[in-house]
Amino acid sequence: MSAPRSGRSVATSAAGDLTVTTTAPGLRRAHLLAIAISLVIAASIWLVGLPESTSLFDTPLSTLTVPAALVVAFTGITLTGALAAHRPWRVVEIVIASVLGVTGGLFLWVVAQAWNTVTAPLSFFPPASAILAGLWLVPGVLGGLVIRRPGAAVYVELVAAVVEALLGNSWGFATVWYGLIEGLGAEFVLALLLYRAFGLPAALLTGAGAGVAVGLLDSFVYYPEFSASYITAYVVLAVISGAVIAGAGCWALTRALDRAGALAPLGARGTVRI
Amino acid sequence: MSALGALDGSGRAGNGIDPTAPLARANPLAKLAVSLTISMALVLSVDVVSAGVALGLELLALPWCGLAPRALARRGWILVVAAVPAAVATAVLGDSDAPVTSGLAIGLRVFAIGLPGVVLLATTDPTDLADALAQKARLPSRFVLAALASMRLFGVLAEEWAALTMARRARGVGGGGPIERVRDWGGRLFALLVLAIRRGAVLATTMESRGFGTSRPRTWARESRLGVGDLLIVLGGLALVAVAVGAAMAAGTWDIVIA
Amino acid sequence: MESVAPVRITARGWGWRHASRAAWAVRGLDLDVAPGERVLLLGPSGSGKSTLLAGLAGLLTSSAGRSAQDATGEDEGELLLDGVPADRARLAALDAGQARAGLLLQDPTAQTVLARCGDDVAFGLENHAVARHEIWPRVTRALDAVGLRYGLEHPTHRLSGGERQRLALAGVLALRPGLWLLDEPTSMLDPDGAARLRSTIADVLAETGATCVVVEHRVEAWAELVDRVAVLEPGGGVVEQGSPSGVFAAAGERLAAHGVWVPGRHPRVSTRAGSTAGPSLLEARDLAVRPARSAPVAVRGITTGVRAGEVVCLVGPNGSGKSSLALALGGLIPPAQGRVVAGPGLEPPDGAEPHRWRPRELVSRIGTVFQEPQHQFVAATCAEELAVGPRRVGLTPGETETRVADLLARLGLTRLARANPFTLSGGEQRRLSVATVLATRPRVLILDEPTFGQDALTWAALVRLLDELRAQGAGLVMATHDQWLLEHLADRVVVLPAGDPGTS
Repeated sequence: MSAPRSGRSVATSAAGDLTVTTTAPGLRRAHLLAIAISLVIAASIWLVGLPESTSLFDTPLSTLTVPAALVVAFTGITLTGALAAHRPWRVVEIVIASVLGVTGGLFLWVVAQAWNTVTAPLSFFPPASAILAGLWLVPGVLGGLVIRRPGAAVYVELVAAVVEALLGNSWGFATVWYGLIEGLGAEFVLALLLYRAFGLPAALLTGAGAGVAVGLLDSFVYYPEFSASYITAYVVLAVISGAVIAGAGCWALTRALDRAGALAPLGARGTVRI
Repeated sequence: MSALGALDGSGRAGNGIDPTAPLARANPLAKLAVSLTISMALVLSVDVVSAGVALGLELLALPWCGLAPRALARRGWILVVAAVPAAVATAVLGDSDAPVTSGLAIGLRVFAIGLPGVVLLATTDPTDLADALAQKARLPSRFVLAALASMRLFGVLAEEWAALTMARRARGVGGGGPIERVRDWGGRLFALLVLAIRRGAVLATTMESRGFGTSRPRTWARESRLGVGDLLIVLGGLALVAVAVGAAMAAGTWDIVIA
Repeated sequence: MESVAPVRITARGWGWRHASRAAWAVRGLDLDVAPGERVLLLGPSGSGKSTLLAGLAGLLTSSAGRSAQDATGEDEGELLLDGVPADRARLAALDAGQARAGLLLQDPTAQTVLARCGDDVAFGLENHAVARHEIWPRVTRALDAVGLRYGLEHPTHRLSGGERQRLALAGVLALRPGLWLLDEPTSMLDPDGAARLRSTIADVLAETGATCVVVEHRVEAWAELVDRVAVLEPGGGVVEQGSPSGVFAAAGERLAAHGVWVPGRHPRVSTRAGSTAGPSLLEARDLAVRPARSAPVAVRGITTGVRAGEVVCLVGPNGSGKSSLALALGGLIPPAQGRVVAGPGLEPPDGAEPHRWRPRELVSRIGTVFQEPQHQFVAATCAEELAVGPRRVGLTPGETETRVADLLARLGLTRLARANPFTLSGGEQRRLSVATVLATRPRVLILDEPTFGQDALTWAALVRLLDELRAQGAGLVMATHDQWLLEHLADRVVVLPAGDPGTS
């Protein structure tokens, strides 16, 4: 985040303006205000508490007061941080993210075709199908790790979901909602890491974050009849699957792509920042 | 990979689809809004009534969608493949009080959510969808157009896959046990991804050299129009959802799954 | 086509360094191009020709003032179009509704932006905020001018490579650029498609009067189209310039040594004719082939064969099925009719039909070199790549290592042993793909357009190598358009007429 050093001030071609370089990116008053607001909301959640009468998966909401307050605070801070670090994407970043999205959509489509066959042997213990849930998360995590920009994980997973739906699967456009939420799961972790870390630990956490999202969503949408213990097992397995298949898998894939020179158009990627 | 036709629009012409049918020629955005609304509402509850009523109403609207039976069958079979196992699994393995009813509800829901998607995709060209998303839904045009353009790279995908398959056989790779087959498959996918990203970088250069990617306003060669018909379709979709949910509430089967 | 205001190029000490690289792609470049002038840029790979074109297109923008993470590169000196920095000129043109510079690249499949021909041409006009009622007439005129008359709705995925290039040309033409930048636009086309594209470009330049800068290896075809040739050296800027004949006379030898196809200085390799009396290795009997499972038969009624120590060349126009025939002989496409039978010289495993062999049985007997080397790469380094085949056929690690080292040295790839195959230059990739096939010492080599798009140095190295293999008793089958290659190596030529059966 250095200030301009030379007199020449020309924006990257993606920005399209000739005048954008005089202000160094950083935290401005609006950003600080946004952080303050999210902290106030978090504090009020903590002070007031969530209602005891409503329950989620047989758990009274009141027990979720502290996690909810933490989530609000973290979300506010990190998303504001991401916004502060934001600058327009370059065209090559958008196009390569789109290519990853379309390729990811083909991949998801193949997974969708095979899903029932592959998960059939796992039906002895219904939550076991979650060990493959990480497959659905690959596009978003890969997008986040390759493009390294706020919004990349959501965008790539969303494009992949739309393409999967365009190719035709059994879930129709519910796939799009899935893609959005899975992408947000990965995006959240990358934002918490302030888009600075993309090494193996970060990749595992990102995959796990997306795993939480898909685990909860699946239990909510597809397995509402499961008992609480089954749902817990499902979410835990989904998180492990997300971390291993999507997290570690995409980390390895990103390295392989980098070594094959495929990521050179995106600029320096060889120096993995952890 | 005939399904790839869906990406470049080549799967649309003929094939038992009448593009002039009222629902088929509607703005893609209207169709998308209906599909998303129905999927969102029906995902909330697993019950026979809401899913059943929604599916029934969808079937009633089918004659205006411009899909001949064989076109519907060719694109809709996948719903059967998904609905039946999901229903059976729930009925047999679920731990609800009325397993058969739950199974039926799950199965009907897959159909009711999936059918609008089948119609949307069968009758919509991705280019028109992108036009509508960027012009009418005001999604960022740089992203919408880049996503649309990157689909072009996949027109050569089937050829490329065949070439990779042959080239790897010529190298002596593959043809062993299942583990080796999976590795070989993964290797081909990786090569395909590398080639696609490479081409993507060239495509980005092409697009940028033709003035794409700045924050300046751009014009649209083809206007995406939203008409009264589109409004009616959206209202119809909302009515469909309202009737389905209302019926389920009246019948006492509406059951928000999270509660 | 209406005439445009041609652009003047002025480069003063210009240089560019990509953010991810330590070395400058171009440095110290001085160049003046007068409005309406046409310049051919020559130079070895790594001399920054493509970087210069990207710079002229206004696609390189300085990183000054950006954080290291966002930097795309660093510049020095000046690169001006009509006195305005090229990147600013590009943006200024957006408001004017016509581009300052138009860029045409080499890969036909990567330059199609949209699904319908009309939309694809309109894309640039939309970005330049041209009013809708003006867009369609300009699109139609541009499509007419390049001779694409399929209509606005025609799906772009049905176009051939040459047609896709002409579509891209129309997309640029509609923007009425005063400067055309051509980055090897014909290098991925067959001779016929290349000639048609060139003549379309010649018409466009003649009618619009635009300035033009073109980068090409095969210079004969462009020499008559350009006024001037400028030679770039890596890191040295323009080292030579003048009329085509002048430059080729003064610097022809040096250019040829860098791999440029200088007119009158094409590489000559002394080769010895093969014998047509060796033992039969592979025979086709009344063979018919489809290029893909659901495609129509591309070639039929072929009865031919290859013997030890012989080079058989398959020639014919595009679509005559010579590549498919080559791949069928290589045991990679099953025959639609007839048979491919391995002769005793190939020591076939059980069953003489190569397409039924397992990959590891195939790789020690028949090696196939594909037109696109990248399709054949399966490992993460060049050395690994060469070791794949020997391991598959069961050589010991020691033997494998010796063969790999030997091949790397023989094909001049030793310093790249640890490099990833995908990161090599085009010529290096070609040499590596041939080397991978040689690693298992197959008796039969099938080569699909082996010299396609290669510079003269790689070309000569390939011819020497293939000649040597023939002398050692290998049988070679090549599908090729390359007349110069035929003159050097062909012992027998099989001519495939377009669509019709027959051999000679």
